[in-house]
Amino acid sequence: MEVVQILQGIISLILILGLSPLFVGLVNKQKAIYTGRAGASILQPYYELKKLMKKETINANSSSFISTIAPLINLIAVAAAAAMLPISFARPLISFEGDIILFAYMLGLARFFQVLAAMDIGSSFEGMGAAREATFAVFAEPIFFFTIGSIAFISGFTSIYDIYHSIRLDNISFVVFIIVCSISVFILAVTECSRMPVDDPNTHLELTMIHEVMILDNSGIDLFLYQYSSYIKLFIYVILEASFFYPFAVQSYTLGIIIFVVVIIILSAALAAVETVTSRFKMKNIPHYLLFATAIGILNLLIYTFTK
Amino acid sequence: MQNVLSILFCLSLFYLAVTPRVKAYVAVLRFQGILLTILLMLPFIEQFSIFAVILPATLFIIKVIVIPRYINKIILELDIKRTIEPTIQQFNFLLLVIFSFIIIFLAASILSQSTEIEIIPFASGFAAVAVGIFIIIFRKKLIIHVAGFLVLENGIFLFGTAVASELPIMIEIGVLLDVFVVVFLMGIALNRISSTFEGFDVTILRRLKD
Repeated sequence: MEVVQILQGIISLILILGLSPLFVGLVNKQKAIYTGRAGASILQPYYELKKLMKKETINANSSSFISTIAPLINLIAVAAAAAMLPISFARPLISFEGDIILFAYMLGLARFFQVLAAMDIGSSFEGMGAAREATFAVFAEPIFFFTIGSIAFISGFTSIYDIYHSIRLDNISFVVFIIVCSISVFILAVTECSRMPVDDPNTHLELTMIHEVMILDNSGIDLFLYQYSSYIKLFIYVILEASFFYPFAVQSYTLGIIIFVVVIIILSAALAAVETVTSRFKMKNIPHYLLFATAIGILNLLIYTFTK
Repeated sequence: MQNVLSILFCLSLFYLAVTPRVKAYVAVLRFQGILLTILLMLPFIEQFSIFAVILPATLFIIKVIVIPRYINKIILELDIKRTIEPTIQQFNFLLLVIFSFIIIFLAASILSQSTEIEIIPFASGFAAVAVGIFIIIFRKKLIIHVAGFLVLENGIFLFGTAVASELPIMIEIGVLLDVFVVVFLMGIALNRISSTFEGFDVTILRRLKD
């Protein structure tokens, strides 16, 4: 029994690590279709990663050892966070009481090293991007804790796996909480992964970039590690949202997988649609957007606390 | 179900606190009208009566169709600009709204220990009153003041459904008529002001005095 669970956890982790570039490809393809272009193949992110692996790695003269270790730590921290997420009904590799806090801070560690490495290079553009990333992270963290925290309060568990397993969709108030929470998790995903209303992943103007500007001076295997970890990060948040919609009461493995795939495809369509119809916000408007998501989380918590 | 509608109502209040567009205010008013209509029909699902139709139908016609259209017409006629021109930053405004929500939910839970009320609809209605007042205080445009007044009125309506399960129908229709007339009067006043005076910024309206 023990061995089977570990095997299932390893399979989940491999699925997350393997499929994350595919999700980005799916979003980009749909975005291209919505704007009337043919678009690159869904597998394009894999080709780009393969291309980056072959390139030579060059570091700036002014950079120290931080720049060499940061990409690896970044990827490892994100992969460790990915190991805490359940796919379908399988128990994840790392799962214990209170792992939602470790999950949040693993992603925080990844971001910290990325910011540090960006400042280490010594270019003013990277410093600017690092400042922005840190600022918006300050507003994004309460979203996570209020949203997932309120769900944790409602279910009475503090482990991601247990929380998702206690969700019952036949309870109408649970449905409301899930819908409300999925709005704020969507905003969180958009912010943390530097997607459209907060940051434009395709922009080529340094003054408007957040995430892309931090990795401007990286090349070769370093850039590969950063890109790959950003793909995984997006997929992590998508799974975090998709897991709300499992019918955990059914407890069937194949049905779980089918629903997982369907929800993820729907989410990719939603993400592509949002990125097509919205333009990037002004920098000064982004805190309102993030505080709005926090407000939703606080509302959830208030309703839970005062109606019990 | 009543709680679900009230939570949606709260979400629309948060949206009002962040959106910078006049059009969004009108859309939210329409949305709140639909929510209130559904809320009023809920007690009558089991037993049908003629009163079950009159009040929701009147509410729907006035709040969802007539008033938003009239406001849109005023916006179009007077060529009002699209942004709301707040007097404080939107971020601070949203913080204010969040804190008032916390205080109101606290107050509602304390009140519920001594009297029979439904906490979530009660607190949502109360919060809508607060947000309506904040909108009137912290916005410069006159048309937004009208919208703030309507949000306040929606809050009182929700408040009423939380305190008593069935409202005296004549009183509700009377309130609706009042609101309708007030909105028309405000529209006429706006038209009058526009014919003698440029702009609707309340901070410079004091120049209107004799």
